[in-house]
Amino acid sequence: MTQARETPLLSCRNVTKAFGSLTAVNDLSFELAAGEVLGIGGPNGAGKTTLFEMISGQTGVTSGTIALEGRDITTLSPVGRCHAGLARVFQLNTGFDSLTVRENVLVAAYYGRAPRRMPGLRVPSEVGDRVQDALGRVGLEASADRPAATLPVIDRKLLMIAGALAMSPKLLLLDEPVGGLTQREIDRVADVVRQVAAGGVTVVLIEHVMRFLVQLSNRVMILHHGKKLYEGDASGLSRDRDVVEVYLGHGAGKEVARMAADRAEVRHVG
Amino acid sequence: MTAMRRDLLLCGLFACAALFWPMISDMRYSVTQTTFFFIWATVVVQWNLVFGIGGIFSLAQVAIFAIGAYVTAMLGYYLGTSMLLAMPAGAVAAVAASLVLGIACLRLYGPYVALLTICVSQVLYVLIVNDTDCFTNPPSGCMPLMGGVRGFSRFGDLGFRDWLGAGFYIGNYYVGLLLLTAAILFSIAIIHSPMGLAFRALRDNPVYAAARGVDRFRYQLWIFGLSAFFTGLSGAFYAVNTGVVGPVVFSFQHLLFLLSMIVIGGIGTVWGPVIGAAVLMLADEAMRELGDFRDIGMGLLLVACVVLMPRGLTGLFQDMARRFAKPADTEGAT
Ligand SMILES: Nc1ncnc2c1ncn2[C@@H]1O[C@H](COP(=O)(O)OP(=O)(O)OP(=O)(O)O)[C@@H](O)[C@H]1O
Ligand SMILES: [Mg+2]
Repeated sequence: MTQARETPLLSCRNVTKAFGSLTAVNDLSFELAAGEVLGIGGPNGAGKTTLFEMISGQTGVTSGTIALEGRDITTLSPVGRCHAGLARVFQLNTGFDSLTVRENVLVAAYYGRAPRRMPGLRVPSEVGDRVQDALGRVGLEASADRPAATLPVIDRKLLMIAGALAMSPKLLLLDEPVGGLTQREIDRVADVVRQVAAGGVTVVLIEHVMRFLVQLSNRVMILHHGKKLYEGDASGLSRDRDVVEVYLGHGAGKEVARMAADRAEVRHVG
Repeated sequence: MTAMRRDLLLCGLFACAALFWPMISDMRYSVTQTTFFFIWATVVVQWNLVFGIGGIFSLAQVAIFAIGAYVTAMLGYYLGTSMLLAMPAGAVAAVAASLVLGIACLRLYGPYVALLTICVSQVLYVLIVNDTDCFTNPPSGCMPLMGGVRGFSRFGDLGFRDWLGAGFYIGNYYVGLLLLTAAILFSIAIIHSPMGLAFRALRDNPVYAAARGVDRFRYQLWIFGLSAFFTGLSGAFYAVNTGVVGPVVFSFQHLLFLLSMIVIGGIGTVWGPVIGAAVLMLADEAMRELGDFRDIGMGLLLVACVVLMPRGLTGLFQDMARRFAKPADTEGAT
């Protein structure tokens, strides 16, 4: 039992991805305990999305190993990784455009949790319930029968999250879930993510919106040129000279410090 | 009404109407031609599952059809197997062959699948035609194992001649109708099932589909194998109905004729291939008198259809229905 507790949920060891002479992710190692929310930041082109691509299997590693619950998944297919308990939400608006909202989530609920060796002719009611539940968690029940292509941006982002949730993942990877949204919309997504994390799902989120990142993460990692520039508590960000220089800038640095303090306060009160 | 209910209803109506055709039409020719329509429509309905639904650019359907036909004929010819057993055996052999072919080629994409599958058909054709060693030597002359250029004949029938006498072709007609109806029902079930959903998702966005757990190779292999059953069975029935099986079933012209049916009717829909098969057979009939110009006429018809109605006849019907009925029906497949 003690051993199970020590095994990290996700462990990346010396992970490297080279595109020709460009090393997008450079010898990166980190671990993630079950139940954590890790926020990843860093300038454009730092290698954040590439890191996700390797964790979820859309692209292979150049070197290094990735393990989920102690099981080496470095060479597992993307489908295999879904069934191992990993769900990713993409940076760009991705979806099945010709399918309705409900069908979009149904694909994930039916195929995403365990391998379907023999496809059935009907959707089991348990799967239908899971679709309904996922739509409810992101608040998209009212749009269930609309074609996904007609949704506004915020709903498309929520739809991607609903699809991921319908897979009942252990680890949820969110790549810029609030990029391009208004403040009110950001708060809506934050509520969803907070509830997912409260439900025991481990989350890794990439975000440029520092408020979102700081409010939700237990731990923050800043990448730069594919390397770890900072890893630790959000409150340490504004004290780290490199992070302020390379990423935040001096003005934003102070603001991040204030947000981290707010968050710490909320935690004490709550 | 859900799209599935509507398709089932249409299928029922079609089958009922077809039940009466041999009673209305007193011409033997039009009944036997309709039987051929049932055969070709079965092939293209299944081909459409592979090509239009599964997104597999396979040209192997004609070879799979031929395997069904040959296995049935050979079982009857060499072993005297009853056609009632030989036909399902032919269909099962077709499934087995298509699974092997699927495992070999479905890891590839698009045009490579087309190339590999057409090669397999042509190699089979060449093997059969060039085999001149006698396997048996009946009074009618040397018989290569696979029948050679001559092919097989007199390998058995379904017993309608003994039972119905000169009206035996009507028995075959109803078997053909049963075959096509079953093939359409199977197609409806697949298209509206979770597997149909997986293929629509794969067509929209293959990377995202994989990230939601959809295993392209596995489901393509399933549909490739499953559709081969009815394709093989229609080959088996073709053998029984025609009474002759020769290498002509492999011909490229035959393949293009069938492919045109899907394209003209509408790719990826339940009814497109059925409508396409009917239209092409009628057009072929109309141009029967034209001799060599018949092929040119068929070619022109195909080009005109592709240019004027890229989504086939069913696409055209849908657009027209949408224009006339204002409350637009956005339901997917027709
Ligand atoms: N498939 C690819 N081929 C070649 N280079 C690539 C490929 N994908 C990413 N890169 C490069 O790798 C680097 C890291 O890209 P990545 O998308 O991981 O950055 P990011 O941190 O997600 O940036 P952003 O914040 O803009 O999303 C960039 O320089 C990018 O141009
Ligand atoms: Mg990115």
